[in-house]
Amino acid sequence: MKKNPNNGKKREGFFLLFPILLIFFVFGTIVFSVSQKIAREMSESAIENLSESLDLIQSTIEAILRSEAEFQTLIAREIARAEDPEEYIRSCEKNRSMSKMSLILSGKTEGVSNTGERFTEEELDFSAGGTVDGLPVSQSYVNYMGTWAYTIKCPVERDGREIGTLYAEYIYDAVDGSLPDGFYNKQASLYIMDAESRRFVLKPKGMGQRSAGHLNLEDFYRANEIQDPEIRAEVDACLEDGRDILFYHDIRNVRALSYMWAVNGGTVFLVGYVPVQAIQREGKSVNQSIFTVVASMLAAFFLCILLYYVNWRQQDKLRREREKERKIHSQQLAEALQAAQIASESKTTFLSNMSHDIRTPMNAVLGFTTLLATDAENPAKVREYTRKIMASGQHLLSLINDILDVSKIESGKVVLNLEKFALNDVVASVDAIIQPMARARRQEFHLEVTGVHHEYLVGDETRINQILINLLSNAVKYTPEGGNIWFRIIGLKQRSSQYEHIRIEVEDDGYGMTPEYLETIFDAFTRAENSTTNKVQGTGLGMAITKSIVELMGGTIEVFSEVDRGTLFRVDLELRIQEEQADQQFWKQRGVSRILVVDGDPGSRESIQTLMEETGVQLNAAADGREAADWLRGGGDCQLVLLDWETCGLPAARELREILPGGVPILLLAEFGAGDLEEALELERTAVLTKPFFASALREKAEELWAEPGKKTAPEAEEDGSLEGIHFLAAEDNEINAEILTELLEIEGASCEIVENGLLAVERFRQSEEGEFDAILMDVQMPVMNGHEAARAIRALEREDAGRVPIIAMTANAFAEDEKAALDAGMDAHVPKPLSMELLKKVIRHCIRGEESQ
Amino acid sequence: MKKLMRRGAALFLAGLAALSLTACGGHEPPTNLVSQDKEEERVVNLFSPMEKTDPNAENVARTAADLTVAMAEEALGVSVAYWTYTAEDYQDKTYDEVALDRARSNMDDLYLLNPDVILALGAEGRLMDLSGLDSAQNLREIIRTANTVDGRLVAIPQEVVAYGLFVNVDLFKRYGLSLPETPEEFLECCRVFQENGIETPIGANRWWLETFVFALAYADLYNGGNTEAEIAALNSGEAKYSDYMRPGFEFLQTLMDRGYIDAEKALVSEAIDGEGPDFLAGKTPIVMAYWGAANTETAYGKTDFEMQVIGFPSPRGQMPVMPMTGWAVGAEAEHAEDAMRVMDVIVSDEALQLFSETNRVISPSKNVKVDCVPALRPLNDRIEEGVYVLGSNAGMSVEQWGNTCLIVRQLLGGATVDECMAAFDELQAKAMG
Repeated sequence: MKKNPNNGKKREGFFLLFPILLIFFVFGTIVFSVSQKIAREMSESAIENLSESLDLIQSTIEAILRSEAEFQTLIAREIARAEDPEEYIRSCEKNRSMSKMSLILSGKTEGVSNTGERFTEEELDFSAGGTVDGLPVSQSYVNYMGTWAYTIKCPVERDGREIGTLYAEYIYDAVDGSLPDGFYNKQASLYIMDAESRRFVLKPKGMGQRSAGHLNLEDFYRANEIQDPEIRAEVDACLEDGRDILFYHDIRNVRALSYMWAVNGGTVFLVGYVPVQAIQREGKSVNQSIFTVVASMLAAFFLCILLYYVNWRQQDKLRREREKERKIHSQQLAEALQAAQIASESKTTFLSNMSHDIRTPMNAVLGFTTLLATDAENPAKVREYTRKIMASGQHLLSLINDILDVSKIESGKVVLNLEKFALNDVVASVDAIIQPMARARRQEFHLEVTGVHHEYLVGDETRINQILINLLSNAVKYTPEGGNIWFRIIGLKQRSSQYEHIRIEVEDDGYGMTPEYLETIFDAFTRAENSTTNKVQGTGLGMAITKSIVELMGGTIEVFSEVDRGTLFRVDLELRIQEEQADQQFWKQRGVSRILVVDGDPGSRESIQTLMEETGVQLNAAADGREAADWLRGGGDCQLVLLDWETCGLPAARELREILPGGVPILLLAEFGAGDLEEALELERTAVLTKPFFASALREKAEELWAEPGKKTAPEAEEDGSLEGIHFLAAEDNEINAEILTELLEIEGASCEIVENGLLAVERFRQSEEGEFDAILMDVQMPVMNGHEAARAIRALEREDAGRVPIIAMTANAFAEDEKAALDAGMDAHVPKPLSMELLKKVIRHCIRGEESQ
Repeated sequence: MKKLMRRGAALFLAGLAALSLTACGGHEPPTNLVSQDKEEERVVNLFSPMEKTDPNAENVARTAADLTVAMAEEALGVSVAYWTYTAEDYQDKTYDEVALDRARSNMDDLYLLNPDVILALGAEGRLMDLSGLDSAQNLREIIRTANTVDGRLVAIPQEVVAYGLFVNVDLFKRYGLSLPETPEEFLECCRVFQENGIETPIGANRWWLETFVFALAYADLYNGGNTEAEIAALNSGEAKYSDYMRPGFEFLQTLMDRGYIDAEKALVSEAIDGEGPDFLAGKTPIVMAYWGAANTETAYGKTDFEMQVIGFPSPRGQMPVMPMTGWAVGAEAEHAEDAMRVMDVIVSDEALQLFSETNRVISPSKNVKVDCVPALRPLNDRIEEGVYVLGSNAGMSVEQWGNTCLIVRQLLGGATVDECMAAFDELQAKAMG
């Protein structure tokens, strides 16, 4: 089961979110409950506060009423004592609170007032039954002064007998003076309402319409939008019963406490409202403070969370980076371990393979040597055995070469030997090697060169050859009999004018490879293992070497393969273009300014055209013989005809030969081994140029054609000459090798004198007479003085022949750099061990004959 | 950046902690905390009618007066205390009665009085002579005349109150009627309305029917070019008030007889409260009211139909009626001096400009001119032409506005026109002494 890392993160996020939410929830709950509690307490406090204030006002008014009643009782007593009560009344003066005093004597309906007019009780209404200190109090009314008033009546008793009733009128304005000025900072409204009539008898004296008051309770309701029937019913009930009532109600969108407060047992009521804010003046600031504290705490909390989060993010980032590094490290370790294991396994396998591969030919060598001893008398068998021993030895040699090659490449000791070369030579040499191999396996070998602009290049020709031979020999090996092999050299678009960008493709329709094997094909010490390829002998190092060389050259190598479908190797290389290309002078000297190309394939024509561009020779192309003939008949002039054998054939050759002047040669462009050429070659001045076309090949061929008839090249004359009569000085520390050498040379009719080290060789040569030794064969690794030093010493001898006696290195140090070192030491040639007599003969011939020719 | 953030956060938290700690450490100074500088408050008592309040609507007219009072408070550093009274129903004492009582009892300093009360109190010498005030110098002459009693300028209005007929133009148009100019045209309109199902085309209350009477009574007196002589004849007894009043009373009688006015209802209806709802509902095409009612949302300031205010029908065409409500100062008022100062401020050109702009009314100052709302233009045009009658005139020996109102109530209550004329004759005789 694969773990999704996101799930982990989500879970982590959830676990982080959960406590935050929990804290918020707890914090919110606390704040909410505290706010609720504060609000509740503030509300209770407001109600209590207002109730206390109203109680105080109530007490004040009641005290006034009581004092008025007491005053009236006192007056009544005074009147009772007066001789003429009515006269007493007339003499009374009104005061600030009492506006009128009247008396009706018992038994009368009319009395007198201190204001002078007659007085009756008719205008007064005592029906409500209100009393002050037991004295009846009338309903409120507007008095003669135009202000609201009430009357208290009091019996006048003399000697326990009621002699009349005293009426005293009091104005509410007098009460106003005893009420608090600016009730709740003038924000509260306070009315005194007559309970019976529900009219407002004392109003605030505030400014303006709203503050100047209302007419009655209904007006109060309407103005303040107190329309809730329940509240109104409750108010009615309280007014009836003389109870106090206090309720919350929004007045002009401000929360307010409305009140009806019973005074004097409910004869009058205090009516009004107070905005809650006016009662709780400190409430607003308390709320603001709570809000500030909560906001600050929240800000601090958020800040903490933010800091924690930032810190957590940083830690997490660091942790992830470390984890990532650790993972990479672990992975690298695992990969290294795996690589080491694979390498170890590969090397073990390789050793096992090598053991097998070396033992096999060794077994053959030893086995046949044993047989030789037995069948020494039978020359036929001896020859057969020695041939097989030779083959096994050759195989062993190639194995050793490869191993050493890999070892050198891996240790970085390979140096490219960059030299000028012609692509034609590479192709020709590879073709010469592969063509016979393919033919032996009855395979079709197709060679194509297209789009190449320059064929004279600079590179390590030997290594390029090695690459090509590796790839092609593999293709031959891993393609069954009758299969096809394609070798293509394709000129790609140049990325720099100084470099030719070429692609080499080697394709076959052979066994192919499995994808798993493809992954390791370029690794050293691996080899495709299957029943088919097991038959194929090899070190398994070829591809590793190839890839290493390609990369050393700055190129790339790719492989595409499918089992039973075949394989394609693609090598891209960029090789420096030689500054001096085809020699224009050459063609000029031979008077060749125009060549007629007759080829049915437009691609080929174009390719030829491209390759000949820099020669200065003009090319005329024709698709077939007829077209070419027409062109010639039409006055076309050329100095050479290139005729494609496959597309044009013999008739075209004949026709053109007839038209063309005798001196104009015809070159038949033909595949290697093309048949039926004999008849064509019988035509006058007609020769074959093997495909693929290269300007250099054409030049060589032209050189031959324009050469004087009968002249033959010198080296080829003595191709098969022996070493008869040649006397060598050989420095060889190994006795067996010395013996073999002596024997082999003797077989060839030559003689040799062996010395055991370089120093002896130098001494011997110094002592020798001039011309005593035709050549010196020099081993390199020797005790006392090695071959290089010896060669230098010999060259340094003050003898006439010291500088020209051929010194041939003969050493087991068989690499290119060894050869170079030998040449640098003043030797003339290098022959690797084990000794090949053919090669030795060739080299000696070259050195000695060459010297002679000089 | 991150370091900076951390430092900022640490500083913030430290600051917060420091603030929290210092918050608890406050100490009160050990001194007497009661302020010893109590200023003696100067109060001016103002008595005015109280209009019923709506929960949210602003009463423009009242607000305008309040603005001028506030101006005075600010300018003089006095506090104006409002004392108010409004009759709850017809059985109550009227505002005028209470105003008389309060003024006679010297209960207040400043009074807003109706013309009849001004005349009565002025005649009793209970009102201060305001002619010496600076602001009195700017008054239009007609205003000065109308408020002068025994050669003393006893009251100054803040607005020239013009009464007119408020008509529902939509209903007039619906029945193809043009706005009436003369009594005959008016009667014809009422007939058409009645025929079309509007049984009582005129909404009336117990206060303002007298305006019909004044229009017919004094159209010629005030617009005939012989005003002073005619008034002089009336004051000397050569001419009778009843002769002037009769056409108006007879006209009212006709309106009542034909059912164009519901006399019974009118007799117990308060101004606007009684007839207003039907007018606003489009059931009654004609009501009478004062100029300011067209500006006030609590009255007729906002109607769903096209409303116009025209003069009362008279032989001289539409006739505005202008009584003179005014502010007066009690002669023996407790705070008379301050009251005079307040008076000087609230009727100054500056205050009247503010008042007129707020209420869109005609100003008593000759220096103040303000545009009126479109509905008032017909009425305004007549006044600008100089065509109107006065509802009160302190120069007449018989108080007009209050007495006529009371006698119209008698008519409403069933008295005959002759009985009403007799009442005028009685008043005239009493005035003659």
